Amino acid sequence: MSPAPNRPLTVLTVCGVGMGSSLILKMNAEKALKSLGVDAKVEHTDVSSARGMKADVAIAQGLHTDELSGVAPVVIAISNFMDVDGLRRQLDEALRAQGWLE
Amino acid sequence: MTEPILDAVVGVQATDWRGAVHAACAPLVTAGALEARYPDRCVAIAEEHGPYMVLAPGLALAHARPEDGAVQLCLSAAVLSRPVEFGHDQNDPVDLVLAFGSPDDASHLELLQSLAEHLLAGLADELRLAPNRVEAVRMLGAVA
Repeated sequence: MSPAPNRPLTVLTVCGVGMGSSLILKMNAEKALKSLGVDAKVEHTDVSSARGMKADVAIAQGLHTDELSGVAPVVIAISNFMDVDGLRRQLDEALRAQGWLE
Repeated sequence: MTEPILDAVVGVQATDWRGAVHAACAPLVTAGALEARYPDRCVAIAEEHGPYMVLAPGLALAHARPEDGAVQLCLSAAVLSRPVEFGHDQNDPVDLVLAFGSPDDASHLELLQSLAEHLLAGLADELRLAPNRVEAVRMLGAVA
């Protein structure tokens, strides 16, 4: 278990282009994290840029998650960008597993 | 918000996902909001990275980068009369393809935020039932 970051959680939402899908994912991630009461800074980017970045959590379509294993200790694969409740559940489970959420 | 160019096509007969992407971009290319190479770039990016544009069951959002030939902020919808497969493991088949373009990295932020809210509120199913182009454009107008 990693110690809880003593700062806002850094979250990266990623898509192939870094313009549209990742932006919608950022908005929904912000909604989900807010409802979990998690202080987080969410940024969106494309998958190529993401490979040179570091974050606590990376969120992307399943087709990108293999490429993101070195970017963040927590990588979340999603398939439905409109399912905010599903993303909330995935984040809840993943953050609890890290000990970042009680 | 910058006023986006809006358009739509309904009853689209696309033979495959590439055709559906081109159909969604076509009215925006005709309007001069996208260069003709833009839909080709959307297809090329998907061929390289996989079906990144498939956002939810039945729904795709075709887009590329400003430098791929986006002239003006724009948004369109193509309602397909026959769904197509994008090769997405969970969200195929797709019967609604939206397309947007932004001339820079910032102009589209408000539009996409509004689009996301409207999609969460059921815009995709409304568009699927749009009887004609005028109605579909009116629905998109609520986003802009």
